[in-house]
Parts: sequence; C-alpha cells; structure tokens
Amino acid sequence: MGEAVVVDAGSMLLKAGLAVPDQAPSMIIPTQMKRTLADETLTDSSLFEDITVDPVVRGFIRDWDAIEDLLHHILYTGLGWEIGNEGQILFTDPLSTPKAVREQLVQMMFETFNVSGFYASEQAVLSLYAVGRISGCTVDIGHGKIDIAPVYEGAVQHIASKRFEIGGIDLTNLMAQELHKSNPMVNISISDVERLKEQYACCAEDQAAYGETEKSCQEEQHTLPDGQVITIKRERYTVGEALFQPSILGLEEHGIVEQLVRSISSVSSENHRQLLENTVLCGGTASMIGFEERFQKESNLCSSAIRPSLVKPPEYMPENLTKNSAWMGGAILAKVVFPQNQHVTKADYDETGPSIVHRKCF
Amino acid sequence: MYGGDEVSAIVIDLGSHTCKAGYAGEDAPKAVFPSVVGSIDQMEVDDAVKSERDSGTAPDSKNIVKTFDSDKTKTKRKLYVGSQALGYRRDHMEVLSPLKDGVVVDWDIVDNIWDHAFRERLLIDPKEHPMLLAEPSSNSPQQRERTAELMFEKYKVPALFLAKNAVLTSFASGRATALVVDSGGGSTTVAPVHDGYVLQKAVATSPIGGEFLTECMMKSLESKGITIKPRFSFKRKEIRQGEFQIVDLDFPNTTESYKLYSQRVIVSDIKECVCRAPDALYDETAYANVPMTSYELPDGQTLEIGADRFKIPDVLFNPSLIQIIPGMESFSESNPTIRGLPQMVIESINKCDVDIRRELFSSILLAGGTASMQQLKERLEKDLLEESPQAARVKVLASGNTTERRFSVWIGGSILASLGSFQQMWFSKAEYEEHGVSYIQRKCP
Repeated sequence: MGEAVVVDAGSMLLKAGLAVPDQAPSMIIPTQMKRTLADETLTDSSLFEDITVDPVVRGFIRDWDAIEDLLHHILYTGLGWEIGNEGQILFTDPLSTPKAVREQLVQMMFETFNVSGFYASEQAVLSLYAVGRISGCTVDIGHGKIDIAPVYEGAVQHIASKRFEIGGIDLTNLMAQELHKSNPMVNISISDVERLKEQYACCAEDQAAYGETEKSCQEEQHTLPDGQVITIKRERYTVGEALFQPSILGLEEHGIVEQLVRSISSVSSENHRQLLENTVLCGGTASMIGFEERFQKESNLCSSAIRPSLVKPPEYMPENLTKNSAWMGGAILAKVVFPQNQHVTKADYDETGPSIVHRKCF
Repeated sequence: MYGGDEVSAIVIDLGSHTCKAGYAGEDAPKAVFPSVVGSIDQMEVDDAVKSERDSGTAPDSKNIVKTFDSDKTKTKRKLYVGSQALGYRRDHMEVLSPLKDGVVVDWDIVDNIWDHAFRERLLIDPKEHPMLLAEPSSNSPQQRERTAELMFEKYKVPALFLAKNAVLTSFASGRATALVVDSGGGSTTVAPVHDGYVLQKAVATSPIGGEFLTECMMKSLESKGITIKPRFSFKRKEIRQGEFQIVDLDFPNTTESYKLYSQRVIVSDIKECVCRAPDALYDETAYANVPMTSYELPDGQTLEIGADRFKIPDVLFNPSLIQIIPGMESFSESNPTIRGLPQMVIESINKCDVDIRRELFSSILLAGGTASMQQLKERLEKDLLEESPQAARVKVLASGNTTERRFSVWIGGSILASLGSFQQMWFSKAEYEEHGVSYIQRKCP
C-alpha cells in the first residue's frame, strides 16, 4: 500500500511528504508560482517578471488550476506517485475554511488525481498532536493569517477561535516600507525583503526595550545579491513588535497574547487552566528570534488570572517543529486514520459526492 | 427545490444577547458573537449629498442617518461588530443594541450584524445559500416583512424561511407538542407549541433574563464595595523579578456605555461560574451562613461570593426578591406585574385548550443561556409539582449538555433546514418577486 502523503498548503510554503512520523516534510517548496506564457505550463518561482500566481491566499486555496499544477508536480515528480497507482492523501485546513473550499478540494483529489483515500483535518488540532497533546491552545502565525484556536479533547472550539487576516506578508510589507524610508537610494524587491526579514527580524525583550531601540540600536550592513548595500537598524525590531502592538501596522487590535487570553475567556472557565497552560506556537512567523521569550514575558502581563504558558516540544521531534507542526501532526494522524479506514474512500465519494468530507472528516 | 446536500442552508438566530450563525446540518453554530455593536458617530458636512437629497433621490450609503436641521450636516456612524472589534477600546465608542424589548428598532445594526456573520465569520456569499432565520415567538407581521425585504433586496438570498424560536426548540428535542421555556439574555418567554404551531394567545413573556440577572449581580457587588475593573482599565507591570503590580490606566474619552459593557462581560462570567438555583424559596436567614465560593477577577482580585449565589437566580422564581437587592428597588415599582417562572408556566398552560394541557405539562422544555444554570431544572420541576393540578404529570426536560441548551434554537433550525421534507417549504426569491413581501405570512406560519 505504501505511506500516505501529507500536504500542508500554506500561503507561502507548501509542506508535503510521506507520512513518516518524527521527521520533517521531505518537500518544502514555495507556493507562489509564475505563469510563463510560452507554452502555458507553470513552473515554480523563477526570477522573470511574469505574472505571479498565488494559489493560496490568506490560508485558503483560491486558484484551483494553479494548485492542481503544483500538486501534480509534487505528487508525481516529487514524491514518486505513478499515474494509475495513486495512494492516500491527507490535507490540512486552516480555521473557518468555507464548506465549498473543502468540497472542491476533495472533488479535485478524487476526480483529477484519482487518489484512493482522502482525509482533511484542521491545522490547530494537528499542531497539538505534534507536541503530544489533545487539549490546548494553538497560536498559528503564518504568512497570510493568524489563527488562535482553543482545542479541547481533539475538537476545535469554534465559538472561541479567532482568525486574523494579518501575517508574515504584512510584516514583510511593513519592513519594506521602513527600509525604504531609511534607505531611499536602495531599490529592493519584495522577495529580497522577505529574505532580509527572515534573517534579521527579531523581537525586543519587552515594550520598554523596544522604546530604547529608537535611541540606539545595533546597525547591520547587508549586501544584496545585485551588489547594493543596505543598512538595517531599528526595522528589525519594528517587525517583531508589530505582533505585540498591532497599532504599528495601523490596526486597532490588541497584541497577540491579549487576543489569546480574551478568546479563551469565552470558553467555560473550568477548562481555562488546561487550555492556557498548554499553548503551542506554530507557523513560520512564530519562529522569529526572540518571539517565544517575548511571548512568555507578555503573558505575565496580560489581563487574566491564569497566565498562558508554552508547551515544550518533545525531544524526539525534529528541530523545526514550530514551522512544520501542522504537517507533523498530519503525519501522526495519517498513521491512525488510514489503517483504521476512517478516511473517505473512492467508493464513499462515488456514492455520496463531495459533501461526504463534512461527515467523515472533522 | 434545494437539495440538502449540494447547497448548504445557513441558520441564523439573532438573540438579544448573542447572535448565533452557522451551517445547517452541523451540531453547533460556527459563529457566536454579541448582538450589540460599538458605534462611533462621525459628523460630516457633505455638499454633494445635500444636493442629491434636494433633487429627491436617496443616498445609497447605508451608514447615513439624516438629521433634518438647518445646517444640513449628516451624521455618519461607524459600526464595530463582533467580540474582537468590541473588545478593543476606542474613544467615543458607544455600545448599541438593535433590539428594544425584543423588537428590532434599528435595522441598520441588524444589517451590519448579518454582514459580519456572512463575510467575516462564516466566509460565505449569501447569494448562494438559503437562509433560515429564527424569530421571536410573538413577532409582528411588519417585522417579518421588513426582515424578508432586507434579506431579499440587500443580500439577494435564493430562499428564506422564518421560524419561531419555540418551534425550533421543540424540533431540537424531537417533539411536535411541548411547552417551551426560553430563558435567554434579554427576556424569558413561555410558549406552548402544538403540532409545530405556536399558540399565540398563550405566549407569556417576562423581562427577567440573563442580562437582568447580571445587572442584579453587579448592583449587589457594588453595594458591597467591590469595583469591577474592566479589562482595558488596567495593566500589569513588573516591578521586580517575578513580582507584578496592577497599574490603573485612565482613558477619559471612554463612553459610559462601553465601560458598563466591559464590566457586564466580567460579571456575566462570574454569574455563570458561581450561581446556582436554590432548592427552595430563597430565605435571607437560611442562607446567611452558606460557605463562600471564590472567584478570581482578571486583575487578580479574589471575590468571595456567598448568599448572592442563590439570591440572584431565585429572582427568576420570585421577582419580589428584586426589592431586597440594593440598587434595584426602582425596577419593581415600574413593573409590578412580573410573575415568577412557575406562575408563568401555569398561566400559559391554563390559556390553552383543556385537551392538550396534560401533554404540555409532561413535556416542558428548557432552552436558552440562562436555562443552563445549575439546578434550574430540578427547582422548576419541584415548584411546578406544587402548583400544578393533582392529576397532571409534570416533566421538565432539558438536554444535559449546557452548550446544547444554550443553542437549542439554533440546533432546531439546523435540523429543520436539513430535512428532506422541508426543502419545498422555502420562500424562494421567485415567489418573493411574484407575490410580494406579504406572501411571507402565508408561507411561514
């Protein structure tokens, strides 16, 4: 039969691989694609100024043709599936995925790719499985969105979950703005700013320390691929601070820890302790330097009697757990769901149609 | 007409305290948020709009409230819907409710609430989903027509159905005949349902609901000298390693209504955690020595609550208790005719036909947020056994799960909208266009 494939389609990176637990996904590729008009085939990001296609926007799949091509490349070329002998596949969904999106995904999988089994699960639950828990809170700070979801005994408490349409992409734009202000002569593209952000962005120790950086902070000189030299000073701290003080991004919202605490307060109080004391940070942006420490510090200052505390990932898990926790949770789940035949089979799909996904996959 | 599987209906229950929305066929609503909104008035002088008004055409923007005074200024207001938006303190933001005494008075706010539910919480396009709306058991025809108009004209829904709250609750429990006691945020309604139809002449309402009890709790705590600090009014500072101190923040431009709203949210949580319905009529002396329960407030203060745990819920059964709660005396003078819950039930059943009374007594359903209070079911059963006629067999039913009780109206709607036999009962857009809005009275009984 072979291993099942787990796919976590994010707004920036698509993580895919065979479901071997305790290992990182074998393919981590950018979801952004360029459409070349020459022979109408799509390839992964190149350096030409063609039309850029983002199949996944703010966490949800929007461009179905593009994602079909991308999955084609991943499944057949990357992971070694053969046409006519497709295996089983598990997808991860973000919070508040509209029903129509799920149905279209399962339709595409069965009709275009002819998979033998399908399962979809929510990213919040999977991230908790990756750290060995079934109850807790996930704070998923991704490229396109931030999801705060309390999960109790494997079920997401939708009533208390929150989704924000801000993420790494907004931080990149902020950094580009700030860099342009301080380095008006330098011309940088967004993808370069993205790389600079990943390399240099960090969080100040606390709000007071951030204020200090205004007066004095370490200066870095970075040489861009095309030879230009850019100076990075306060911008690196501004990007990290924006998550804790969204007014920097121009939003009227509380910082991330406060949002977490308030969303938990709508769950019945007997579970508060269990949820807050098992908080998991996931997502690419959450792996920023100094983010975890700052999060812990802010959680001591939040307006709640019970303070959120972060979960330590198990030792047997690979290093980059924060970035790939949803995928790894998916790998763990795939080992349980498919052998026990709890997934959607081709026969089920043929009988009931796409809406079977709502009944079989929670 | 609309297959249950291909097109998923949306069920919305706009209550006086929270709005519940979600897909039909699911067992709980996906979007639950307060049905009050924050509103900031923005004064604007707009010459272009003025000349438009003079020429007789109405401006299209839904946020413009016309003020007919001589300097021709337009008051625009920005509305903030949802617990996220309400949770953030803004200067001059007032908290408004679209309902007054259970009746919709501000359709603009209702419009915004629906919009928030569709576009920001459920992430759907209303054009593609039939809508099932829950309405109060005593809704006037004008309100229904207005609702239908708003749904079809603005949201262009393909089909609509309005169902009464009581009917939906009885569906959720699988009964066609029942007496529904719906104790929600703004009011308590007792409505008998017979064969799926509400018997209008026997519906009884009382303004005592969850929010009233929260108010009583707040006044009681105030009289004991405890101030509830809203979440925005303080922050924690670390003075030494591991030691924290509460620092008060002052925001002079915060409106009174917002401050009250934030305090109510906290007190409401206290009420839900500690309050229990007493086993017998509340007696000041009997509960004077009851052990205290502690509750920790967000700013770290610990409250000890003793007799109030039982006094506040007993207001539902014995409204004359309101007088002994300090600060609430004025209420009972203005509303002398409020009856307690058992009396309302008996009264309502007595207004029904003699033949169905027995059946109603043996299927009394509890629904609503306030009904999920601990021991409420047992107390109501006991009180009714005392006051009901000898021959009647009294049975109060309530689902064990408190979430189910809170959302039983929504769950009933979810069940109804996914039934195969219901699909022909929708009031479709075509019928609306052909027969007009008053046809809804016939289609949705």
